[in-house]
Amino acid sequence: MMNLKKNELLYFALRNNKLKVGLAILLFFAVLTVVGPLLTDYPPFDYIGPAAAPPSAEFWFGTTTFGQDVFTQFVHGLKASFLVGIVGGGLGTLLGILIGFIAGYRGGLVDEILNMLTNIVLVIPTLAVLLIIVAYLEVRGLFIESIFIGCTAWPWAARAIRAQTFSLRSRDFVDLARLSGMKSLKVIFTEIAPNMMSYLLLVFILQFGGAVLIAATLDFIGLGPTNAISLGLMMNNAVLWGALILGIWWWFIPPGLAITAIVGALYVTNVGLDEVFNPKLREM
Amino acid sequence: MKRYFGRKLLVYILTFFIAVTIDWMIPRFMPGNPVDVLMARAGSFAGATELMHDYYTKVFGLDVPLWQQYINFWGALLHGDLGISVYVFPKPVAEVIMDAVPFDIFLLVPSILLSWFAGNWFGAFAARSKRLDNTILPLGYILTATPYMWLAMLLAWTLGIVFEVFPIAGGYSFSLTPTFSWVFISSLFKHWFLPFISLFLVGFGGWAIGMRNMIIYELEADYSHYLEALGAPRKLVRKYAFNNAVLPQLTGLALQLGVIVAGALVTEVVFSYPGIGYLILQAINTRDYFLLQGCFLFIILGVLLANFVIDIAYVLVDPRTRAGMQGESA
Amino acid sequence: MKRLSFVLAILIGLSMLLASCQPAVTEAPVVTEPTTEAPAVTEAPVATEAPAEAPPEEFVREETLYMGGTQWGPPTGFNPWNLGNYAAGTFGLCYEPLFIYDPLADEFVPWLAESGEWTSDTVYQVKIRQGVTWSDGSPFTAADVKATFDIAKDAPVSISPVWKFLGSVEAVDDYTVNFTFTTALYQGWSYYLYSTPMISKAKWEGKPVEEVTSGLNPEPECTGPYIAESLDQTKVVWLKRDGWWATEALGLDPKPKRIVDIVNSGNNNVALGMVLQGQFDLNNNFLPGISKLVDGGYGVHTYYPEAPYHLSANTAWLLMNLTKKPMDDPAFRRAVAFAIDVSQIVNVVYGGMVLPANPTGLLPNWDKYIDQAVVDEVGFSYDPEEAKVILAAAGYKDTDGDGFVEAPDGSKIDLKINNPNGWTDWMESNKVIANSLKAVGIKAEPNFPDYPEYVSQRNDGTYDMMISNDAQIANTPWRYYLWMGRNPVADVATMQDGNYGRYENQEVFDLTDQLDQVPTDDIEGMKTIISKLQRIYLTDMPLIPLWYNGMWSQTSDAYWTNWPSSEEGAPHWTPVSWRGYWNMTAIRMLTDLEPAGE
Repeated sequence: MMNLKKNELLYFALRNNKLKVGLAILLFFAVLTVVGPLLTDYPPFDYIGPAAAPPSAEFWFGTTTFGQDVFTQFVHGLKASFLVGIVGGGLGTLLGILIGFIAGYRGGLVDEILNMLTNIVLVIPTLAVLLIIVAYLEVRGLFIESIFIGCTAWPWAARAIRAQTFSLRSRDFVDLARLSGMKSLKVIFTEIAPNMMSYLLLVFILQFGGAVLIAATLDFIGLGPTNAISLGLMMNNAVLWGALILGIWWWFIPPGLAITAIVGALYVTNVGLDEVFNPKLREM
Repeated sequence: MKRYFGRKLLVYILTFFIAVTIDWMIPRFMPGNPVDVLMARAGSFAGATELMHDYYTKVFGLDVPLWQQYINFWGALLHGDLGISVYVFPKPVAEVIMDAVPFDIFLLVPSILLSWFAGNWFGAFAARSKRLDNTILPLGYILTATPYMWLAMLLAWTLGIVFEVFPIAGGYSFSLTPTFSWVFISSLFKHWFLPFISLFLVGFGGWAIGMRNMIIYELEADYSHYLEALGAPRKLVRKYAFNNAVLPQLTGLALQLGVIVAGALVTEVVFSYPGIGYLILQAINTRDYFLLQGCFLFIILGVLLANFVIDIAYVLVDPRTRAGMQGESA
Repeated sequence: MKRLSFVLAILIGLSMLLASCQPAVTEAPVVTEPTTEAPAVTEAPVATEAPAEAPPEEFVREETLYMGGTQWGPPTGFNPWNLGNYAAGTFGLCYEPLFIYDPLADEFVPWLAESGEWTSDTVYQVKIRQGVTWSDGSPFTAADVKATFDIAKDAPVSISPVWKFLGSVEAVDDYTVNFTFTTALYQGWSYYLYSTPMISKAKWEGKPVEEVTSGLNPEPECTGPYIAESLDQTKVVWLKRDGWWATEALGLDPKPKRIVDIVNSGNNNVALGMVLQGQFDLNNNFLPGISKLVDGGYGVHTYYPEAPYHLSANTAWLLMNLTKKPMDDPAFRRAVAFAIDVSQIVNVVYGGMVLPANPTGLLPNWDKYIDQAVVDEVGFSYDPEEAKVILAAAGYKDTDGDGFVEAPDGSKIDLKINNPNGWTDWMESNKVIANSLKAVGIKAEPNFPDYPEYVSQRNDGTYDMMISNDAQIANTPWRYYLWMGRNPVADVATMQDGNYGRYENQEVFDLTDQLDQVPTDDIEGMKTIISKLQRIYLTDMPLIPLWYNGMWSQTSDAYWTNWPSSEEGAPHWTPVSWRGYWNMTAIRMLTDLEPAGE
């Protein structure tokens, strides 16, 4: 893979439909996140319209029971999802890389200890950990939520990267580097990591999607940010204020749809990229 | 080999010990305490709280130093005693959990296993089959990307409220007394269906996608090409590919358990399904140390056990892994 | 090949697990059910005297009343002393008080007692009704009344504080009980008269303390119209019994053969949906958007056919922590009172389902105790300009130009307003309050700790401001003032029954104690003291009454009719099944119900 030419990758990337569709959807939502707030005159929480009005020319996505503009909340909520995805997913990937590399490369006791750490984090019910953090931080914010998600989302990535490192470790060029007296960390970062770059990108994309879903779950059960709006929080509010029964579908359909679209697009992009990086997977 | 498994077991016991300890600590580091909550719920007669506060602190064994509480906790746990619940005072935690666990097993085991089997089956079919790939695949992506509660909300709204096909709440009809009868069991299934199908669908999408990708990896592996070159029938090659692809999917199952449990939690919330998920939320909200510990214990045991099985499977099946795990000393 | 067979083995193992789980599952819920088999905490062979016929597989819809809104967790038994945790209906349907109190008419109705009167300054004599029987057929007598109070002497239960001013209880004869007080606290005692469940001496005497406080009492003895039939994780089932005393004595006969109380799901959608689909006959949850359903022809009714839809149950206050700056400054507190736009809370957040509070905070049923002259003179109303004037006059100015005022000593003001996470209506109201305060230049943010932390900040006095609604509707406004003026302030954390703002004013404490000693029929005497209290509270503003939370009640005419309503000719009873409301005439709601079919 080392000798893959850049333009060759680009060629296959441009021909890959999955990649194109995934990126297009992501781009659409990214643009909406940036431009959306400019399209609306309302602050997300203000009572500006009639109660529970269906979508109209004035209120594109209708209003909540309190007369808040759903579209405004929606575009602000998108921002929250992207933030959580980038920060939470990014942190999860970083931790996973660090632990996976070290465990995979060193093996033995180090591996054993790190593996144990991984197992512990896997089984600790993350909800309770969040509650502790909430308790010590007076106002819950999006950033804190993202950090928390990152700190609990790394185990599977660590495992996957560890396995990859295992297989690379026994390759000739790694053995060669080691025999030449290179330090472990240097071997990891000069010999192993570059060979896994594409894989790490894929891991990050999956972590991004996972973080968005976890954030939605936390927000939905009422553990989300207190001082911001998010898509999960919108669904939480909709359920708590009886939107399902009262038929205020425009309150809970858009946020869920957006999450599905964003995460789905991420997954599709992931597979598309995989096909680009891995010649064997390309559609024939 | 024996030594290896001995060490592995030790690691798991240690993990269990540490995880349970953390779960013991977590609720106790949260501000607020169960007796206050109990009092806040009870208070109505002037001055009553003052009299009851100390008494109940003693009842829950919270009047001794923390380290003593910790030792008492392990002592009780080894005798199978999980303490008394605050949330459903004065019921023993074990009983509260045993009331909820059947519903969880009823919901989780079929949805996890069926989605895993069905997903893998469809995924394997879809791989390298243009027509199926174009139909199943997009559907799979949409399903696996759907937040659990949103799918649950959509199902509750359409099938439960608009069309009134399925009930939207509870484990069985409120007009029934649990008996071993057709009416009761059919009610049980009716109430089970929506939560089940929402968990199933999300899982199904994920496994189908995963399997489809795995199969393609395997079909493009050298051994497949080699087999094909030798003139082996395509069916046989696919069979080998499937057998190899199932293993990572099994690992994935173990890794996904935590996520699935969280998904079941929100699904139970949407449908008011009387499982452990709802108990955990309530236990947190009432600082019910004992119930919280009990619920976590179940989850920890389940996830650890699954991980252990997978670990063994990996070592037995993949000699390379075994070599790596025995360390560099060799 | 080895690998293949291993995978197969795992798959087979997993499917066997699946298979072995399946049959277990279908049987499983059976395990959860019969209360009679619950931990053998009490005497064993009670099951035999339980309902003669086994409960039917499916309840007959037309004979069953489905209700909900009280039980927040799986029911745990029928111990009336078990804090707030006994199964809904235990006190009310099964155990009964001596009197019931009618808050709408402001009168006591003799119940298990035939009459009660003060025979001297310190002796209260109760005549017990004859012909009342326990569900096992034995008569209810004066000895049972005595036992009820005596049991609270040894075991720390909710009514135990009565022994601080009660000297002794004496059964003069089978149907006469004398209560002799060390200090006659007329107001305080009046509350015990309708809030104490009468238990059977034969059953409870000699029980160990932990059995009294924490026993499950799976087979309760009842004087009331219903006996416990079963309970499981999601519901409690009550079965009508023959021979309820009130049928003969008062001509009251509850029509539902069974009452099923359904455990709250913690999810408004579910309760709302069940109301809409006619699965609930009576629901007492706060259900948003109920006005839509009431007006929309769904057959759903509330006490009032239009706003405010519900009766008022308690006062929601903004409590301020007087030990912290700037809340220790009466001028600042007064400015806050003028700043809050309560009408927005009432109309937008609640959609008109609640009433704005009177500045005194006294509930509508205490209207006659409000001294309007005092309110006119020192009361407050929403007026942000006035709030700014008060702030400026007291030296609160924006010195650093950030748009928010600083305290007179130049320190910054940045406050948090607490309310429990998940209490949606309060969370939304909290946002309105914070915005109101910002509009007059006071920096404040809503803060949503979870309930236990909310409680601990309240008890420890570490909060800035909080929404609270502790004082429930009751027979005497003394209880309201007791909550506001709990003394001594040092004990607020352990007493946990009021004055969380730590308001220290000896005059108020003395007046509250004086009020306690005024006979309940001396309305003018009460008014004189209450007027003084109102003046002090409105001048000092230690807390700010905001709105009245409602007695949320949604009823359906599908199977049962003649629900309580404000309308002419309809019964006027409290329409809620909450704990402590059966003894405020909710039991009469039951006896007035009519099957819809007839």
